[in-house]
Amino acid sequence: MPELKHGFKISTEKCQGRMPCMRACPTHAIRVKNGKARLIPELCIDCGSCLGVCPSGAISATTVPFAELDRFKFKVAVASPALFAQFAIKETPACVARALLDLGFDAVWEYSVDIELIDRAITDCVKKWPGPFPLISNSCPVIVRLVQVAYPSMVEQLIPVEAPREIAGRELKRRYSLELGLQPEEIGAIYITPCQAKTISILQPAEEEKSYLDGAVGISEIYNDVLQKIRKTTNAEGSPKSKFGIGELFHWGTPEGEFPKLSREHYLPLTGLTDVIKVFDDIEKGKIRNIEFLECHACPGGCIGGNLTVENLYVARSKNLHLVASMSRPSPEFEKEVERRYAVEDFSLRRPLKPRIIEGEVVNLLERVKRRKRADELLKGLPLLNCGLCGAPTCKNHAEDAAAARADLSDCVFLSRDRINFLREIYKK
Amino acid sequence: MAVELLRESYEIQGKNYDKAGEVSGEIKVLLRDLGIDAVNMRRVVIVAYEGEMNVVMYAHRGTLTLVLTDRDINLEIADEGPGIPDIGLALQEGYSTASDEMREMGFGFGMGLPNMKKNSDEFRIESEVGKGTFVFAKIRLNANA
Repeated sequence: MPELKHGFKISTEKCQGRMPCMRACPTHAIRVKNGKARLIPELCIDCGSCLGVCPSGAISATTVPFAELDRFKFKVAVASPALFAQFAIKETPACVARALLDLGFDAVWEYSVDIELIDRAITDCVKKWPGPFPLISNSCPVIVRLVQVAYPSMVEQLIPVEAPREIAGRELKRRYSLELGLQPEEIGAIYITPCQAKTISILQPAEEEKSYLDGAVGISEIYNDVLQKIRKTTNAEGSPKSKFGIGELFHWGTPEGEFPKLSREHYLPLTGLTDVIKVFDDIEKGKIRNIEFLECHACPGGCIGGNLTVENLYVARSKNLHLVASMSRPSPEFEKEVERRYAVEDFSLRRPLKPRIIEGEVVNLLERVKRRKRADELLKGLPLLNCGLCGAPTCKNHAEDAAAARADLSDCVFLSRDRINFLREIYKK
Repeated sequence: MAVELLRESYEIQGKNYDKAGEVSGEIKVLLRDLGIDAVNMRRVVIVAYEGEMNVVMYAHRGTLTLVLTDRDINLEIADEGPGIPDIGLALQEGYSTASDEMREMGFGFGMGLPNMKKNSDEFRIESEVGKGTFVFAKIRLNANA
């Protein structure tokens, strides 16, 4: 397996080993040894839970620096609908799109067509699916990775349909290379992203294919510039005229889709990793029946609550509702374009998703059982306080690490006085 | 001969809907930690969950024992309860003796035992009316890997 890329970096220099990241990680992928946080790459699902809690600013999201995009001859922005919910009511999607052009993009993609196409593809897929149910949406990369790491038996329930942003990348390259006589690689398809997880899904898609997009720029990274451009245009020219109708840029579903064509009682939208995990636990037991499709987003509130957004979730949601309410019916051109593309394009995922191989699995079953028994035995000697001073988030994790010889059991302060002295030395001011 | 690697027993309380599903949840975590492949894990967890729910719904109490060998996973579910008068009938899809209360909770479609059988490579059921029921299910490790 190629080396896993992740959506953020931990700076060893800045890290002070204070451990909120380790405690916040839902897959227990962080250990803090010798006063420094370190990632177990196989377990990381790029959710970004660690990102906001670091008191030392040592964890940063990897997005593409805006300046790096100049290598493309023609740059096209594919803006997550979450972008439009970041600004005031009078700053319409058309104003925001205009500001993106002023910022140096050569075009802003009419992304809602792709979202509508994927809505349809998903509706069709759900209707034809033989089972097992429920199918699970895959547009949130964290959800895909969570299933690959923690729910391997549910991987086949991830819906085998491409994410709308990928379809947008494919189509915009096709169209502009035809219109402008450019090679597809000379055209930059850049996603304006509400989270670092989508950046990673572009750098390294979970299905091990190459993304149709070339990179992603975080909303928070361009927010100030966009705001400035909007203010400038509005002041100089009054209300900006633009070819963008609201319908082509902004989709009326919740950001990243809602599927009104699926019957309500068979469709369940879920947001927030904690709730998603609860429901996934029930699915794995076969407890959830009569639900055909789960739309899951790792961030509470969905993509408008992404960790690279600026506006607080509730204000953004209010703006989003306002945009939906003020939308006119889709234009005939929009409908026509959706019909045309739906007839000719294939939306199925190019490669099947597979469970992620976790490091421990390379040893045989007998050895795994031995480790498990050893870990159970070792756990009996630990205080079950989950204090984290050993450098693992829970006593159970520490017992497992020790059983697999990845850590010393005596790193527990209850078992060794030396450990306290060692920590005192490390955390000395 | 298959070599026994691990044996774990779990108590199940009858009529405790609040805790229902916890045993199969624990089994899921155990099998995941052991790196059992996805297809087999799914089958074991479905059998364990249906078995657990049968105990919760009908019996006073029960024990679920999981035995892992180098070749297969065996589940033994023994309960103290009313027993099943006609096992052949109980194994028919759609046959159900569920109460309204159970149906309201989303059970009682008559798929429990048939579902367990379908997901097992070997399946045996013994019952004595008024005493209890014993279910044995074997899932072979390499059959689907």
